[in-house]
Amino acid sequence: MSSLTGEVRSVLREAIEAHRDDQETADLLRRQLDRMDEPLRVAISGKVKAGKSTLLNALVGEEIAPTDSGECTRVVTWYRHGHSPRITLHPKEGPPRQLPVSRDGGALRIDLGAAPESVDRLTVDWPTQGLRDTTLIDTPGIASVSEEIAASAVRFLAPEDAPGEADAVIYLMRHLHRADLRLLESFQDRGAARATPVNTIAVLSRADEMGVGRIDSLMSARQIAQRYRADPRLRKLCQTVVPVAGLIAQTARTLRQDEFTALAALAAAPRNELESALLSVDRFTRAGEGHAALLSRFGLFGIRLATVLIRQGFDDPPRLSAELVRRSGLDELRETLSVLFAERRDLLKARSALLALDTVLRERKCPESARLLSTVERLLADAHELAELRTIGVLRSGAVQMPAEAKAEAERLLGGEGGAPWSRLALRPDAGREAQRQAALDTLARWQRWAESPLSSRAFIDLARVVVRTCEGVVNRLSDD
Amino acid sequence: MSTRTPIEVVDLALKAVDAYRREDLAARLALTRHRLLDPAVRVLVVGEFKQGKSQLVNAIVNAPVCPVDDDVATAVPVAVRYADEPGATLVGEDGSRTGVAVDRLEDHVSEAGNPGNRRGLREAEVGLPRSVLAGGLCLVDTPGVGGLGSVHGAVTMAALPAADAVVVVSDAAQEYTATELEFLRQAARVCPTVVCVLTKIDLYPDWRRVADRDRAHLATADVPAELFPVSSTLRLHAVRTTDQALNQESGFPELLTHLRERIVGRAADLARRSVAHDVRAVVLQLTTSMEAELTALRDPEGATDLVGGLQVAKQRADALRERSARWQQTLGDGIADLISDVEFDLRDRMRQITREAEAELDGIDPALVEEQFAGWVRQRVSAAASATFVWTHQRARWLAGQVGEHFADEGGEVLPDLHSRDPDSTLGRAVPLAFDAPESFGFGKKLLVGVRGGYGGTLMVGMLSTVGGLALLNPLSLAAGVLLGGKVVKDERKRMLEKRRADAKAAVRRSLDDVVFQLGKDSRDLLRELQRDLRDHFTTRAGELSRSLGESIRSAQSAAEAGREERDKRLLDVRAELKRVAHLAAAADALAEPVGSAS
Repeated sequence: MSSLTGEVRSVLREAIEAHRDDQETADLLRRQLDRMDEPLRVAISGKVKAGKSTLLNALVGEEIAPTDSGECTRVVTWYRHGHSPRITLHPKEGPPRQLPVSRDGGALRIDLGAAPESVDRLTVDWPTQGLRDTTLIDTPGIASVSEEIAASAVRFLAPEDAPGEADAVIYLMRHLHRADLRLLESFQDRGAARATPVNTIAVLSRADEMGVGRIDSLMSARQIAQRYRADPRLRKLCQTVVPVAGLIAQTARTLRQDEFTALAALAAAPRNELESALLSVDRFTRAGEGHAALLSRFGLFGIRLATVLIRQGFDDPPRLSAELVRRSGLDELRETLSVLFAERRDLLKARSALLALDTVLRERKCPESARLLSTVERLLADAHELAELRTIGVLRSGAVQMPAEAKAEAERLLGGEGGAPWSRLALRPDAGREAQRQAALDTLARWQRWAESPLSSRAFIDLARVVVRTCEGVVNRLSDD
Repeated sequence: MSTRTPIEVVDLALKAVDAYRREDLAARLALTRHRLLDPAVRVLVVGEFKQGKSQLVNAIVNAPVCPVDDDVATAVPVAVRYADEPGATLVGEDGSRTGVAVDRLEDHVSEAGNPGNRRGLREAEVGLPRSVLAGGLCLVDTPGVGGLGSVHGAVTMAALPAADAVVVVSDAAQEYTATELEFLRQAARVCPTVVCVLTKIDLYPDWRRVADRDRAHLATADVPAELFPVSSTLRLHAVRTTDQALNQESGFPELLTHLRERIVGRAADLARRSVAHDVRAVVLQLTTSMEAELTALRDPEGATDLVGGLQVAKQRADALRERSARWQQTLGDGIADLISDVEFDLRDRMRQITREAEAELDGIDPALVEEQFAGWVRQRVSAAASATFVWTHQRARWLAGQVGEHFADEGGEVLPDLHSRDPDSTLGRAVPLAFDAPESFGFGKKLLVGVRGGYGGTLMVGMLSTVGGLALLNPLSLAAGVLLGGKVVKDERKRMLEKRRADAKAAVRRSLDDVVFQLGKDSRDLLRELQRDLRDHFTTRAGELSRSLGESIRSAQSAAEAGREERDKRLLDVRAELKRVAHLAAAADALAEPVGSAS
């Protein structure tokens, strides 16, 4: 456990002690303290029908979030790991109540029994491996026709007054719309743990539809994601852009034997017969019994892809499932999540806690406020890990004039692509320790020179100093153990 | 029922005015004829990007004319219309025209070949020999809107009033979003016919539910538009394999029928009514002098009184051309009011934006959010400019209607009572001796249909390009106008935050001043041009009237002076001529009747 986490805990405890007479504030702070021990909270957000619930199911590997062709998620819903399935409804007013757990063909059915507007949030506890390390939060779509529902999502992700609830954000978009940019910007201004590019990643969802269901759709989705990654407007708002075919990922992770049998039968049928049936969803539905169900699980593109794969020799359920998951881009997303969020879990949580504490202390004064605030400020300013995060944000905002290569190097050194020394130094994972140390020393010397150059601008010098300190840390780490 | 086509009726009328040597009337009819021969029913295809707009156009004309790509494809509007030979022309911002091969079009209009329209093209025109386009249908594929507040959105919105119909495209992946509905609502306000198309139904199993929901949204938003679910992929495949069933399944037959009957058909109907109107007006001018002659021939003793009456009428008609005429005053005052109102409206909106921008700047460091902030200002400005534009447009149309009404009132009073009480004359019924009152002007969709069909119709069709011109100028010139000075915010070393904020505020004020100046000038120029157009139009009408009355005086005088025998002979001639002209009027009337067979 890092020293930062320890210090954050102790300042939280002191704050709780200082507010012991104010039950409400103390509770609020205690929740922040508890949160340090809980899994990382990742919110999944995006415009309406971007495929948020589908992606959540794909990540968990179970159909727990209800999905539908209409607008489906109407209240903010938390999916946490629990020992037994339980759904709790938290109304805006009144005590929380339990909802019955019922499943419909594998998918969870949630009947609110109340108007969505009156519900603050839902909590779903579910015994599954997929939620052990991360709590996922499904949010209603932005730009929903119902203003109230859209507003509730914005309130959750970018609250005006309360501390942010999520530590990190996955932002889903079908294409980059102006509304997407605006929303991502509002995360940054406030809320969502005052998002910086470091705790937001964008997902190009429904990647299979990008090429209107053609078999090479995912390839073009990759190219489009590549272009977005280089878009300066998006660069300063999120860490990276990953394409994912959510529906295929979800279905592949929950593939059933009967579905495989049906697909194998389709793949065995004469090719032109299948092709003519796959011209449109209506034709495919008419062509055989049970096709409608298959279609809702795979989509037209999924069926095209799966039958081609079966013909290519992925002819048993586990292999087909694994290949579909790989093709859907889910593996890449999970890898990205683990490097960018999971590795930084403690740091992100410590940061959320500090920011929350800062808000509380400013709004609810007590005799100790001034002293505690100065501690919080010192931690926020001095903790090098946080300085790294902040500097990445500054780099991405483009506020500092510097050559592109230096910018890319600085970002990598600061841990933008992973915290391990080899990743920071742009080496291969199997590089020898001595080689790594030498590379670190070289880099350190170079950045020291830049930091001291009288020709550099003030902003660049500030930035270079943070990089130098990072390099020193890396050298120490490689020399020590 | 007569089966004369509008063009035949116009040719007949042209022959008649030629015979009476009324070249002023011939010029007017020539214009009518030209419009009739080159009908253009401009249908804008709009929507958010990546909804399949270009593919829809391709599927309608069954040719890959608009570039299609998985990534954002269209950068420049592409207008597809009928031509005997396939060909394409690029129209530059300055109106310059360059021909290109149809298959090289992609290099100029796609996002890949011409990113962000760097080459500054206004649009590309493609001509194709396709029967679906033969009725004058012109489909315009536009770049994706990307939200109402965007500059693109403002440009699209501003281009709508000049279009005959707008096709709003959305794919079946999801129901309408709030932004799309807002766009639909605004579009229905400025464009007479809105058609909704739901694309990619081959891909989404739930498209029927999405279609139902969209229809419900349209009903709630009170947008009178029909929704057509289609699949461009199926249509193209069906045409390739000549598969009738598949074509039916693609949903295109219904859409094409709707385009043909409801949009092109209605435009043709309006064109017919407008021809009928022009021809009737010409007949009226011709008969004025014949009626006068007939009256004088029948009653030579009363000819002095008649000539006296006609002279008074001619004086009144001449007075119509004077500046002091009521319609002239309405026009002058109206335009002056409109110019000052538009300027005030613009200034007011910009002041509001300045205030909001300043409040915003107090809370941020301009150095960090310069680009976002400039983007925000640009969005607000284009939205405001677009709102001002729509409003100006509506007021300008209303004013044109008022002027037309006043002119018709005065013109009606000018004409003396020329009822010859001739038992053989059937003209009393065929040509009422008065100006048609223009169809009433009001707001909303009736307005446009009325305007184009009624008296103002001919005028409005010609004027549309003037009013429509406002559309193309503003948002583009303003996009260039709002650029916050880069150096203000980058020089960090010496300046304090406060200084940066003050500088940014000054920059905002300065650029908004520029916008008001530029937009103000543009709209002033266009309104003046509109004023000139209207004045010329009505002065010409007054001139025609005056000349008709002059001819009447002359023929009445010569009739009074003629001998008895000559008079009797002439009486027969004039009656025969009047009958011929009445025949022309009847042909024109037949055109104005709704065509029974089409419905």
